[in-house]
Amino acid sequence: MGELRGLPHELTAGLDAAFARTIEEPLDDDTFGALALAAFAWQFDNNRHYAAFCRRRSRTPGSVTHWRDIPAVPTAAFREVELTCAAAGSADAVFRTSGTTQDNKRGVHVVPDIRFYHRSLIPNFAAMVLPEGTTMTMFSLVPPPRDLPDSSLSHMIATAMERFGTRDSRWCASAADGIDHETLDRALRDARASGESVCILGTSFSFVHWTDAMRERGMRHRLRDGSRLMDTGGFKGRSREVGRDELRATYLDLLGLPPTHCINEYGMTELCSQFYDASLRDAIVRRTLGPDRKVVPPWVRTEVVHPETLDPVPDGTTGLLRHIDLANIGSVIAVQTEDIGVIVDGGFRVIGRTAGAHPRGCSIAMDDMLEAVRNP
Amino acid sequence: MTDPIDAFHLPGLTDDDVDRWDVREYGATAVRLRFPVLNGGALTRIAARLVEVGGAAIRSMRPGDIVAAIDAASSRLADADDPLGRIAEYALPAATGYSPAMVRLVLDRATRDWTSPVLRDLLDREIPDDALERFVPMHGTAIRTMAVPPRLALHIGSGNVPGVAVTSIVRSLLVRAPTLAKTAAGEPLLSVLFARALADVRPLLADALAVAHWPGGHSTVEDEAIAAADTIVVYGSAETVRSIRERAPARVRIIEHGPRASVGLVGRESLALETAARVTAARVAWAVAMFDQQGCVSPHVVWVERAAVDVDAFAAMLGRALDALEQELPRGSMDAAEAAAIHDVRTRAEFRSIAGEDVSLFEGSGATWTVIRDADTAFEPSCLNRTVRVKQIDRLEDAPELIAPLRGFIQTVAIEGQGDRTDELARKLADAGATRITDFRSMPWPPSTWHHDGAGPLRELVTWVDLETE
Repeated sequence: MGELRGLPHELTAGLDAAFARTIEEPLDDDTFGALALAAFAWQFDNNRHYAAFCRRRSRTPGSVTHWRDIPAVPTAAFREVELTCAAAGSADAVFRTSGTTQDNKRGVHVVPDIRFYHRSLIPNFAAMVLPEGTTMTMFSLVPPPRDLPDSSLSHMIATAMERFGTRDSRWCASAADGIDHETLDRALRDARASGESVCILGTSFSFVHWTDAMRERGMRHRLRDGSRLMDTGGFKGRSREVGRDELRATYLDLLGLPPTHCINEYGMTELCSQFYDASLRDAIVRRTLGPDRKVVPPWVRTEVVHPETLDPVPDGTTGLLRHIDLANIGSVIAVQTEDIGVIVDGGFRVIGRTAGAHPRGCSIAMDDMLEAVRNP
Repeated sequence: MTDPIDAFHLPGLTDDDVDRWDVREYGATAVRLRFPVLNGGALTRIAARLVEVGGAAIRSMRPGDIVAAIDAASSRLADADDPLGRIAEYALPAATGYSPAMVRLVLDRATRDWTSPVLRDLLDREIPDDALERFVPMHGTAIRTMAVPPRLALHIGSGNVPGVAVTSIVRSLLVRAPTLAKTAAGEPLLSVLFARALADVRPLLADALAVAHWPGGHSTVEDEAIAAADTIVVYGSAETVRSIRERAPARVRIIEHGPRASVGLVGRESLALETAARVTAARVAWAVAMFDQQGCVSPHVVWVERAAVDVDAFAAMLGRALDALEQELPRGSMDAAEAAAIHDVRTRAEFRSIAGEDVSLFEGSGATWTVIRDADTAFEPSCLNRTVRVKQIDRLEDAPELIAPLRGFIQTVAIEGQGDRTDELARKLADAGATRITDFRSMPWPPSTWHHDGAGPLRELVTWVDLETE
């Protein structure tokens, strides 16, 4: 384990307490603030690139007195430098983004101590995807970590399977061949026959791929009651949720899963914590459906900032999402995303992703140009 | 709430042609524009009427009469006290996103190109000797030739720079072509106001020009428009241009203005003294700020020759000049994606610098302007909205090689401080693919006679018919 050397005892104890909370027990602002400021001070001393970024803004542990003022590093920074508190070569995990940006540079998140990743992932996943507190047979449409050692999503699913999956759980995709339709279909039929409910995990794109193939072959699955799926991503284009309604209709039609049991996860390589739709927990634990939202775990604060000034905007205003995630103790807790969202009662909604959007005007679009430069 | 502005001019349009009305809101000032959603067959009827009625009308006019009508219409748009000029001034900022100061400047400058002296000069240079009206002798031969206009010219607009579409329409009318123009979603208004002004000042021309907006791509309306035209002038992305080319019948002449990028060069003669460098920096800033960099003539990268004034000092001067322009000519509104793109570019420059790379970042408050001085000399496309890269090269003569990978995309190159090297450099830049070489002050405003993307503005529209008998 790549321990976080020199993490002050008080901070360690505070983080322990934060991660021990259930989803319904938010940290009060003072407690969260004290932890975040202590984490900021420690990261300032142990992450030299981040410290340089803060000094340029004249925001140092000496001058920052509220967690909202902790400088948030834009995700673009992860494409240029390693933002880590780990000594070189000592990290537990190195996750990389998929490299779909214009210059194909991939974002790198060096995670010195993977235990913090797990301490966020496990209770959050349990609360939001398995709120009944059971184990479940899990099938993944994402290839396993041995195929995708860089993928935080693959690691996340592996961890969830290991912790909450039954022995029948399996990987139904590989990097070489994509989704293994035969294995998946057979596993689902077997589960149906033995009366087991299942949990299918994958990217939204992989679900589209799979359900397209099902449709082509005119097949459907009737999953046992209580079955569910977790898809991730699927926010494309500009300022609008493409296809979410269509996807939900497909899930209902081809898998028999109601919208409550189709949980969208919002996560990013640069963050150790994830955010899930509240729908299943609302249905099972609260027994009443709240507004459509992503739930923020107690050890995270999510804010929305103005896209131009990057200053916080009032709740209910659309802007760019910013997360302060204590599970990111090994890198940078405050991360500025390029995702458009809005704070709603009990969480936030993701409206879209801005990456790769076309500028206006009659000037050349970057895609056209890069295509030309790359393929002369 | 005020009534929506009708964002179309469709002579012969009847109630039966309209399936429904689409009213859209623009900007914070809630300007509302009304568009007809046309029934199948409607545009075919309107286009046929343009060819028959409009064609006869416009061909009955002398070119000089057409010039006078365009001049009169354009002066109405330029006049903020005219009802149409007033609509242009208050609605265009909301419709395009540009600041009111920018819209005023662009209106003043663009309408100047639609005045009689400029248009007469353009006609004389492109189609001399009244060749639009009669067969005229070809120089040094016994052959005579005449310029025959298109039966119907379709113009497909793009982008949001006001005036680009009107200029295209004006050229078409000058060669006496009945004209159908599709406005761009980003600037759906000025061409309509121009058509309305023209109809007002010269009712005979009202039937020769139709302007409308419809969604691009494989729509019935667009297919009808393409089928009716024999000449198509298309502005737009590579995808748009490709799509039109694929759908148009082989007999149709297509004039393409696909995506283009422009760059700047600053030579050592402008960088010998700080005072001279400051003047040049202000001119570069002007070219960057104009149209918020969204024009095909806007510079993405400025290469600076190694000289007495250090490149970082020059980049800082450029930043200060952009900052000053933010008062005089404020940047327009942006959406979240555009702002995020600017922060992305800034962040990456900043962290490259933090990591020890030879990069400096100069930035205005919020996301107003950004200058990145980068030791990497390669061309990089800008995310626009006043985001420019400054790169030092040892000699200006190194620049042609740096733009060569962009052949087919590179358009304007602005140069200053090159001393007596103009012709030699221009030849090399032309070899590398540039089609216009100018200075920074003229960069945003090509002359009306401009060989836009390499061809004659009027000559490319007409068909030259030769008469070989005496």
